[in-house]
Amino acid sequence: MVNYGGDEVSALVVDIGSSSLRAGYAGDDTPKAIIPTSYGYKPAPPDVDISMEEGSEAANKSPLATMHLGQSGPSIWRAGMEVGNPLIEGLIQDFNPIRPLIDHAITEVMRCNPSEHPILLTEPTWNTPANRERMAEIMFEEFQVPAFYIANTGVLNAFAAGKGSALVIDVGQAMASVTPVVDGFVLRKGLAYSPLPKLVHAHARHTLISPTPTRRGIDLYPHQLIANKLPVDLGQPPKFTLREDRLAGTTDSWKAWAEGREVDEWIQSVAGVLDQGWNDQLAAMRPPKQYEFPTGYNANFGAERFNVGEQFFWHSPQLVASNANLPKTIPALITESLRACDPELRQVLMGNVVLTGGGSLFSGFADRLSTELMRTFPHTKIHAPGNPVERRYGGWLGGSILASLGTFHQLWISKEEWQEHGAAIVGQRCK
Amino acid sequence: MSSGVPVNGDCIQSYQDLKLNTSKTEPKKYIIFNLNKDFTEIIVEKTSISTKYEDFLADLPENECRWAIYDLEFEKDGGDGKRKKIIFVSWVPDDAKIKQKMVFASSRDALKRALVGIAVEVQATDASEIAYETVLEKAKRTY
Repeated sequence: MVNYGGDEVSALVVDIGSSSLRAGYAGDDTPKAIIPTSYGYKPAPPDVDISMEEGSEAANKSPLATMHLGQSGPSIWRAGMEVGNPLIEGLIQDFNPIRPLIDHAITEVMRCNPSEHPILLTEPTWNTPANRERMAEIMFEEFQVPAFYIANTGVLNAFAAGKGSALVIDVGQAMASVTPVVDGFVLRKGLAYSPLPKLVHAHARHTLISPTPTRRGIDLYPHQLIANKLPVDLGQPPKFTLREDRLAGTTDSWKAWAEGREVDEWIQSVAGVLDQGWNDQLAAMRPPKQYEFPTGYNANFGAERFNVGEQFFWHSPQLVASNANLPKTIPALITESLRACDPELRQVLMGNVVLTGGGSLFSGFADRLSTELMRTFPHTKIHAPGNPVERRYGGWLGGSILASLGTFHQLWISKEEWQEHGAAIVGQRCK
Repeated sequence: MSSGVPVNGDCIQSYQDLKLNTSKTEPKKYIIFNLNKDFTEIIVEKTSISTKYEDFLADLPENECRWAIYDLEFEKDGGDGKRKKIIFVSWVPDDAKIKQKMVFASSRDALKRALVGIAVEVQATDASEIAYETVLEKAKRTY
């Protein structure tokens, strides 16, 4: 058997999410390195020999000429810098930047040599076999890790909450998912997921940029593009000057990324959801919240801030009619998941609901979820860690504890086993 | 996926004793299982012959995890006579340390597999979920 137990060498745990990549030592309670999964890059200049058409295509194919990663990556403005993200709907679609990203987190931020530590990686339940085998290949062949394991985030979250069986509701930056876990294994047929957080984000963005009877549409210029601003009164047009020198060099992808961040900041500080379901009067009675944008424009947000959170739980019939591919709401996902489970299991699952993911920290989310669930299931118990770190990095934390157990060593896939059996062993060992 | 923590032979011994009353003495009523200090083995912490449910509850610490086997005896509704059921309890209070919770959750399956003949399973995180009435109701429902 492998000698790479947690006792001799500390294992590393790597958790790749849509918004951030978390890496750290097994046994720690927070990841040492948290870097954005989005990265900045400057496309390689097209070769002069080939025609324009081919040139631009080639540039798209190998866009990683210069990469800007980590804390001083996409958030720093650079002329002509594009921003990319390897994940689509929580799955890795572009493997090119994965190696540099992991490398940055482990060697640059943690100052640690990956070839000396076993690595435990997390994966969402809807990950494909091809994807996990590719990750194993990257780990063994490129990072030369001595041992590797890939664990499911749903199971890790359930374990971290102390439950062998649980219904794990995970709301991330891109995806919301409901995963039934029974005795430490995922019940795959009961998995339900949708890109709901993206819809909430789009709704918030639309709310901000569209003018209303009481206020103008809001400019989402990030602070990197603003030269100076003057303080203005509440609701007054902003007085600011843009950095004209930077406008020309700003790429569309960077602008979209930076504006997305402004929207996210607004969501995190202002948006909320009513705990008893939508009610115009109740929403109007709640105190408004003031928020100032980088332009200096500041306004009070009243009922509209609750409308944003409402998108997690309920979609208006007009919205449903206008968009056939609308992501499913949280209650719809739960219903879909439970329908696929045996009736006797449902009771167990509903008594052990685990809420996790950074998106679930949305103000009022847990209370509203509890209201929604109580309506159909009187015996519901929701486990939602109060500590934001536990909620945000629940999957990482679970992996950290699991990989630190001395007894876990029997599960690692060692390098020798990888060389002998090849990719097939990943599916056999990591169930 | 599991932690790979093995079950000590005493656990199975005690369980068989409870189930079949092999020692031919006062029948055992419940067993409390725990992990050893280093989280490398599942061990028997206590066996008891007390028939008082309160004693059983008192043996589950307020903010530490345990597993337990309880031999529940009850009258079936409708006067069908006495029934006995072996209950498996995972006691994971919310206030327990996260590492302990994690190891308990991921090792639970190994213990459960080792103990053959469990009729009802209870995952409890607070007093209400382990109350006599709740457990009894569960036991009656599963038949």
